[in-house]
Amino acid sequence: MSGKQRIAASAVYLLLVALAFAFLVPVAMMLSGSFKPDDQVLVQAGRLSRLFAAEFSWFNYRDVFARVPFARYLFNSAFISLCVVAGGLLVNSLAAYAFARLHWPGRDRLLLLVVALMIIPLEAIAVPLFYEVTLLGWRDTYWVQIIPFVANAFSIYLFYTFFLGLPRELEEAARIDGAGPWRIFFRIVAPNAKPVFATVAILSFLTQWSALLWPLMVTHSETVRPLPLGMATFYSLPPLQWGDIFAFGVMMVTPVLLIFVLFQRWFVQGVATTGVKG
Amino acid sequence: MVLHVWAHAGQEAERRVLQAQLERFNQQSDESQLKLTFIPERDYNAQVQAAALAGDLPDLLEFDGPYLYNYIWQQHLIPLEDLLPPALLDDLLPSIVAQGRYAGHLYSVGVYDSGLGLYARQSALQQIGARIPASAGDAWSIDEFNQILGKLAARDSDQAVLDIKLNYTGEWYTYGFSPLLQSAGADLIERRSYRVSDGSINNAAAVSAMQQLQSWIQQGYVDPNLDDAAFAGGRVALSWVGHWEYERYRHAHDTDLLVLPLPDFGQGSRTGQGSWNWGISRASRHPQVAAQFIEFLMRTDEVLAMCDANGAVPGIKSAVQQSTLYGGQGPLALFAAQLTHGVSVPRPKTPAYPVITTEFQNAFQQIRNGGDAQQALNAAAQKIDQDIADNQGYPFIEQ
Amino acid sequence: MKNTQLAWLFVLPALSGLLCFVLFPFVLSLILSFTNLRLGSPLPLEFVGFKQYQRIFTDAAFLAALRNNSLFALIVVPLQTGLALLMALLVNQPLRGMVIFRSVFFMPVVFPLSLVAVVWILVLAPGPQGLLNQLLETVTLGAWQARDFLHDSAWALAAISLTSIWQGVGFQMVILLAALQGIPQALYEAARVDGANQWQQFVFITLPQLRNAIIFVVLVTTILAFRLFDQVQIMTQGGPNHATTTIMYEAVNSAFGSQQVARAAAMTVVFFIVVLLLTLLQRAVGRQQGVN
Repeated sequence: MSGKQRIAASAVYLLLVALAFAFLVPVAMMLSGSFKPDDQVLVQAGRLSRLFAAEFSWFNYRDVFARVPFARYLFNSAFISLCVVAGGLLVNSLAAYAFARLHWPGRDRLLLLVVALMIIPLEAIAVPLFYEVTLLGWRDTYWVQIIPFVANAFSIYLFYTFFLGLPRELEEAARIDGAGPWRIFFRIVAPNAKPVFATVAILSFLTQWSALLWPLMVTHSETVRPLPLGMATFYSLPPLQWGDIFAFGVMMVTPVLLIFVLFQRWFVQGVATTGVKG
Repeated sequence: MVLHVWAHAGQEAERRVLQAQLERFNQQSDESQLKLTFIPERDYNAQVQAAALAGDLPDLLEFDGPYLYNYIWQQHLIPLEDLLPPALLDDLLPSIVAQGRYAGHLYSVGVYDSGLGLYARQSALQQIGARIPASAGDAWSIDEFNQILGKLAARDSDQAVLDIKLNYTGEWYTYGFSPLLQSAGADLIERRSYRVSDGSINNAAAVSAMQQLQSWIQQGYVDPNLDDAAFAGGRVALSWVGHWEYERYRHAHDTDLLVLPLPDFGQGSRTGQGSWNWGISRASRHPQVAAQFIEFLMRTDEVLAMCDANGAVPGIKSAVQQSTLYGGQGPLALFAAQLTHGVSVPRPKTPAYPVITTEFQNAFQQIRNGGDAQQALNAAAQKIDQDIADNQGYPFIEQ
Repeated sequence: MKNTQLAWLFVLPALSGLLCFVLFPFVLSLILSFTNLRLGSPLPLEFVGFKQYQRIFTDAAFLAALRNNSLFALIVVPLQTGLALLMALLVNQPLRGMVIFRSVFFMPVVFPLSLVAVVWILVLAPGPQGLLNQLLETVTLGAWQARDFLHDSAWALAAISLTSIWQGVGFQMVILLAALQGIPQALYEAARVDGANQWQQFVFITLPQLRNAIIFVVLVTTILAFRLFDQVQIMTQGGPNHATTTIMYEAVNSAFGSQQVARAAAMTVVFFIVVLLLTLLQRAVGRQQGVN
């Protein structure tokens, strides 16, 4: 590398390290706080040297398990998220394919409706939705946390833009061979759409994993409540135990972090082919 | 038959005691089994409201103090006076009866009541030569209190000498600080008809009292208490909080710990009262069994067991007498005295309470952050009165 | 026609879900906004016309919420997008270890907002002990005076913006990075042959090629900015003095704190209209620039 290039590279690294620092420090604080006794967590929280302070114990982690059924919360979160993701991948991709490739009356107007629905967040419909599920008798179950979220306008939109961009030749060939839309979709389109499936799966999973408001409103039993609510329990019990809260946070985030690290490349690839079209 | 019971998820010791009590009660009976669910305190009221809407309230459940009246108004509870033995009813603390009575009936019974005061470190007060009040009637005047704060701050490295639990959220602010208003001669709402808040929550006395509080914060006397250990850790000399901190504080300061009445803002020292209380829902098919469990919880030794766990004031007179904390010359006798001698003021007994407390909390947040006290309290009054008008004054429709 | 029937079969599951659980509650919200519905009241339900709307538009807190959401969007969207672009450009360099940096930057996206809010409460701790206060003091060589960010009406919104940017920028970075990697190298080579320098290459090749991605990112971030709720709920509860309250926060509090469902419904309708207008506006602007 030439001298000029070396200077440029150093500048890049410097910037990157500075930025990475900003991103890592709060996380490091959480991690190190989770290993400290509660009264030590806030002592001189500003000093970076305190991040590596001597007292290291698993006490907070054990305490979390003793105070709340963490394993149960973890299972609940995983089960609910996986159901929403699996169900969503199926129904949303099917719908998007119909919008992208099939011709039928009312298609364009319905597509506009779907796009408009993308804007409505959960908070805007939480209360009427709450009345609705109450009337249906779904309160305090897994299903009330799953079924309303399977169909998702944003997922449909992502699938739609992706399918639009797929080259038609493969589908044409199959149609000439006499295959109907079902076969075309499952045998040809879907296998070639792995990136968008990965993207939608990850986005959907992340949303469900961190859901707080809705489960808060519709559940009260530990048997069905997800992780973020468990955290709220700690946060509302005096005296405040920051060590436990951080331990809980670390455990809550680690599985998802691992999954992401493993599937990073798929996600980036998926995003590249869908988000860009805008 | 299975009965469902809901309780708030309080301190761990409380939960264990209640769990044990439930198990013992279940063992006594072959036919009925009680199932207990703990609900996190922060969303307790929202959950109860949600269940009420859905029509699946449990047979027996707790209510957080004055939130009770809204549920009574919504016709979700049944009167208890015919389900409980007269001896128990006679033994109840007057504040417990006051809390549970509404529209001519007794709708709830509290196992314990609450105490609110000023914890202090005797050594710190002695250092500055402050007078130690002997009872609520003897409380510091607001001028004295300001002087004490100033003197303590002069000796304190970070100037913060008072903890008022600014790290708490929610109901604490109404519970802990509406006595300020009452002590100054104001109130959250007028208590004759419970229809108008304007003129009570925002009159000159109220504004002046809240400005006092604001001045403490602005002068740096108040510790933000992020770690909830300002007093326990010895950073401050005074802590404005309730009975639930007694155990922790005693553990930290032992004989140096004092329990003092809140300062007098002009009309005498006032303090809060009210706590969790049990009621039976109209939908319950086994109200007698539910009532039997209440009776069980209100036995003297059971009451004392719970109060040992959470440090609260026992709800029956016989338990107060036997209590080492609250009876006679016990360290928390002040709290019991405040409840029996009218120093404590119940929070407004009206179905409008949820709105009243929300608006007062909003006003408090604004004031604590330096906002204009008059404006904040005016806004609260306006919202509260509007809500009461919207609900036609919350007429009670007897069923 | 068989084809139409088939199409409907494809679309029906998702569509019925959306109709039942998104459109219907929303329409219900719209209807409710014209009533006086409360959460649990024995009094009869009444239609009150536009009263709820009148009330919220004369309510200082709601007006502050509208202002805050707009301010928040104005701060966060350009900052977050700019930062994401910078990070994407850096990480796209052909140097070693870029995957590590990419992972680090994306990591906060994986954190639930509730957790992020809690951790940042400590980062923003008041007094010279607080992490951010200490950092600023070091960087400004002692000129910085420690502040209680979350309780200072001048700084609270900025603090929440910082928290949100920290959590969200990694996601935008990944999108922009993917778009960057999709730009054909041939374009750059041709430009270099023509004598264009780094800056010119950036302005005349990179940016135009990224246009769609940037528009997408800006739109999504703007919509998310108006949905702001979790951080406010946990960190500031709308204060101090309405400095951080948002439309959603006011709506949720009206419904569950003050039990005024109809009022909350009116707020969410206003929210929907605002975001709809913004979306249409951005699409129009985006299309126009395309024509040029």
